[in-house]
Amino acid sequence: MGEKVFMQGNQAMAESAIRAGCKLFFGYPITPSSEVPEYYAKAMKDRPEENIMFVQAETEVAAFNMVAGAVSTGHRAMTATAGPGFDLGQEAMSFMSAADLPAVVVEVQRPGPGDGEILAAQGDYFSAVKGGGHGDYNNLVLAPYSVQEMCELMQESFELAEKYCNPVVLLTDATLAKMRESVVIPDYKELPKPEDITNSLTGKKGREAHKVATCGDGAVQWEEFNLRLQAKYKRIAENEVRYEAKNMDDADIILVAYGSMARVCESAMKMAREEGIKVGMIRPISLWPFPDVAFEGITGKKFLVVELSAGQMVQDVKLAVENKRDVTFFGKLGGTTPSPKVVLEQIKKLV
Amino acid sequence: MKKELLFSGIGGQGVITLGETLCDAAIKAGYNVTFVPFYGQEKRGGRTMCNIVISDGIESPIISEADIMLIFDDRSLGDYQGLVSPNGKLIINSSMVSVEENVPDTVDVRKVPFNDVAVEAGNPKTANVVAMGYIAKLLPEVPFELIQEFVEKSFAAKPKLIPVNIKALSMGYEL
Repeated sequence: MGEKVFMQGNQAMAESAIRAGCKLFFGYPITPSSEVPEYYAKAMKDRPEENIMFVQAETEVAAFNMVAGAVSTGHRAMTATAGPGFDLGQEAMSFMSAADLPAVVVEVQRPGPGDGEILAAQGDYFSAVKGGGHGDYNNLVLAPYSVQEMCELMQESFELAEKYCNPVVLLTDATLAKMRESVVIPDYKELPKPEDITNSLTGKKGREAHKVATCGDGAVQWEEFNLRLQAKYKRIAENEVRYEAKNMDDADIILVAYGSMARVCESAMKMAREEGIKVGMIRPISLWPFPDVAFEGITGKKFLVVELSAGQMVQDVKLAVENKRDVTFFGKLGGTTPSPKVVLEQIKKLV
Repeated sequence: MKKELLFSGIGGQGVITLGETLCDAAIKAGYNVTFVPFYGQEKRGGRTMCNIVISDGIESPIISEADIMLIFDDRSLGDYQGLVSPNGKLIINSSMVSVEENVPDTVDVRKVPFNDVAVEAGNPKTANVVAMGYIAKLLPEVPFELIQEFVEKSFAAKPKLIPVNIKALSMGYEL
């Protein structure tokens, strides 16, 4: 284990990406994600022995497509952006999922719609989880709730992207991105060779040709192509569900939250328990695939879903629970995060 | 142990730096610490506020009620005084704040002219360090020596400024 450092979420995450062997970063700065490109720019200059390359693209459209190009060669590459930039990347997201490209994208959520604000929000759940681009595809979406988990999931994102040949979105928010806390930065990871990455374009000498393509030559062929993609998403859905469940056994009320909001809810749960209210919590870590299994078989309990949105993840919770009338939603818009005390007041309304 | 703190002022007053220095010291003292800054979109002169949680376990980085609130400008007082704990301490920089506070009687309100003390210490720019010393006194869980160590470290690039800042810190501590 390395030494504990007091580090900002974005910076700690960027260092973890470098240590995961992601030497290629393409991006266009946007608050609250800008410390990630800044970190790469500085590392490129200060650590020449590591061969780090940072390219500031002319737009996010370009940055996402540069990532597509880079990962198709079997090298790890990523971008980081906020909601408005993620919008611009959607054509590439759809393409990369269809073309089996192992891209990694960090999306730091801030309040929208439109230009919005630069504070914390969770209103981009739909665009990340439901696919903001065209066609039937899925991103693998992971949502950390501490700086430590941001670093660990950052590194794992590259492995998962390569394992399934699919884009992975690390979905954070302005609070996690800007906050500092103690963290042990994970160590350098051993890298697969570019030619060992499925379908990578490394020159066809001695093997079958690989191709990166996403167009069909007829309905039958295109249906076959889509069914193959669906089989890929099914494999991800079967194997990559992640969540944390706490204090479930005796709970009367179960909080459901992800990201920084889950961190707040955990404190609210503690406060409620101190007052004798039996509260548990389900924290989805993989938002797609959504952890339906965490809700299976739970009856006679109330669910309180708390989000920094007008109600997005709550739709997936309602699909997962036995009785959707058990589900109550509490959301906050515009950039303020409810404190543990405010969440506790909402819990008390259900008692 | 769990202490929730909120510091707020205008960009350039050093409120965020003060918070970060306190966090460094609290970590060295062995606590779990989270620090969340909130900035406006302005590049200069905007509001800067931070939430700090110092605790034994993992806690929400967003505070419910401030045990210690430090206010460096009028607007911050109006916006955040509602968040001070009924048993908390509200520290107002009376050199900068002219409006009256409106908090329950149980709140321990301290009005301290940090800028005037800074001038006395020898450098008007050390008002935030005076405030750091004052907060150190109210937060014995974080040893003063550690805070002093990190104040020194933060001026490592400008060692000439260390003596005046240490003086400002001590003057704040002894207020």
